[in-house]
Amino acid sequence: MKILSISTATSDLSVALNDDEQIISETVEPNKRNHSVDLDPDIDRLLQEQGLSLKDIDRFAVAIGPGSYTGLRVGLTTAKMFASILGKDLVGISTLQALAQNFAGQEALVVPALDARNQNFFAGAYRQAEAVIPDGHYALSELLDQLKDQGDKKFIFLGSNFSKYMEMIKDQLADRELIFASGDENLLHAGQVGRLAAKAAPIDPDQAVPNYLRRTQAEYDWHKKTGQAFAPDSEYVEEV
Amino acid sequence: MNLNEKKDIRILAFESSCDETSTSVVKNGSEIESLVVATQIKSHARFGGVVPEVASRHHIEVITQITREALAEAGCTWQDIDAIAVTYGPGLVGALLIGINAAKAASMATGIPLIAVDHIMGHISAGQLADTIAYPALALQVSGGHTEIVLLKDPTHFEIVGDTRDDAAGEAYDKIGRVLGVNYPAGKTIDQWAHQGKDTFNFPRAMIDEDNYDFSFSGLKSAFINTCHHADQLGQKLDKYDLAASFQAAVVDVLAAKTIRAIKQYQPKTFIMGGGVAANLGLRERMEEEIKNLAQPPKVVLPPLKLCGDNAAMIGAAAYNLYKEGKFAGLDLDADPSLELPYAADYQ
Repeated sequence: MKILSISTATSDLSVALNDDEQIISETVEPNKRNHSVDLDPDIDRLLQEQGLSLKDIDRFAVAIGPGSYTGLRVGLTTAKMFASILGKDLVGISTLQALAQNFAGQEALVVPALDARNQNFFAGAYRQAEAVIPDGHYALSELLDQLKDQGDKKFIFLGSNFSKYMEMIKDQLADRELIFASGDENLLHAGQVGRLAAKAAPIDPDQAVPNYLRRTQAEYDWHKKTGQAFAPDSEYVEEV
Repeated sequence: MNLNEKKDIRILAFESSCDETSTSVVKNGSEIESLVVATQIKSHARFGGVVPEVASRHHIEVITQITREALAEAGCTWQDIDAIAVTYGPGLVGALLIGINAAKAASMATGIPLIAVDHIMGHISAGQLADTIAYPALALQVSGGHTEIVLLKDPTHFEIVGDTRDDAAGEAYDKIGRVLGVNYPAGKTIDQWAHQGKDTFNFPRAMIDEDNYDFSFSGLKSAFINTCHHADQLGQKLDKYDLAASFQAAVVDVLAAKTIRAIKQYQPKTFIMGGGVAANLGLRERMEEEIKNLAQPPKVVLPPLKLCGDNAAMIGAAAYNLYKEGKFAGLDLDADPSLELPYAADYQ
């Protein structure tokens, strides 16, 4: 099964071609500013190099969140249009799970995280690819409390900006072996998205939305002010 | 089949620059074969205006369904489509990116060429869906984000000859709507109230006598708000119909006066109105009336009300003109949130 995978969830732009779990080709461009400009040309180049066209792809995979809201939408819009038009599978993979794959096979609790500002992180914890702490939006202190309850001897932190809080983390988890990923170990690889997608269940392109893990501030403010409950998104959009 | 028969050109268009997600199939730049508009007004009404992040989130929810619906409604498959068009600016960047990425992905998946369309050219080209346009033409583009007089030299060369110096006319409607307790978007209600009241407040007609085609609506907005606050402090109740009528008269007076002067100078063959405020009945009636009284009146093209707001059919119409000139876009097409038409050489 040929899988084309896309990751635009972070500042790294990555596309990959997998044959099931085998990565055939992958590009990772760290710290790109405008994924919308580069994504399609990157896909085009990757396919051309392999002598393939989009029609040869059996499954489209995308890092579906958490991540940069705009970035997530660029990748998912592209993937869901491909899947919808070509009648192929669409698979959404957790950005954090894909990141954790960078340390697959390690005897450790892997903690991938993306900086959500003001000592908040979009984070999770994975043991041998199994989610131990579910992906969520956590205050750093809250995340560390949950990590303390885990029995693992060794923790690996990766993703963005953990290093800023290294002292605080060391303080809280003093009795464990702590590893902070460096440099390329923090990159998000579309190839890892593709590997996970080989075994994941497809989703309906029409229903697929990014896994933001947060509502917008405007919605929280509205909810606080009016006390009204959030209706399903579908109730706010109508065809006229 | 007659080999000399001209092939019909069908364009599938996407529009997602603000709070409407829309797709449409347009034949030969003039005939709407399908038009799907998913509006988010209900959502943004919670906040009293469009919240960009919320808008982007709603766009991605519906994009695949409405693409299929536009094709199905037109009785088309991808094989019938000659080009894929999309708005690339101006607008909210996150919102624009949904249409752009959808259109690019569709172009890649089908091999159908891509056309990038300026949203304002789209609004003005909505006229093509109502009637044939003879050039040169002059357009009054009025919406929540723009108030411009635009000279159309030919179907793809548009130049601004007059512009607002501050607020757009539609923006002023929404702001005074808030003072009157009218929910966003306020234009339609204010227009209805205006028809039931009288111009008794004499609000300022800014720049009406200045020797240019520019506008200013922020002074009018302030005068309106001050009048209401002053009455509040005195415990007076002002008639909302007269307030609406006075406000609308001030807006329409200035728009009409400047546009008529521009028509006299540029002598267009066609006059077109575009944008959300082009749906305002007070403005439509006034422009038709004044143009009728001109010595050499241009043909007046007012798009039907449903084509004044944001929609993909107008993008398909504008894209047809670009298609004929072979103006296609690449896969690296990006959003340009502050895209502007060029200003005319004699614009001061």
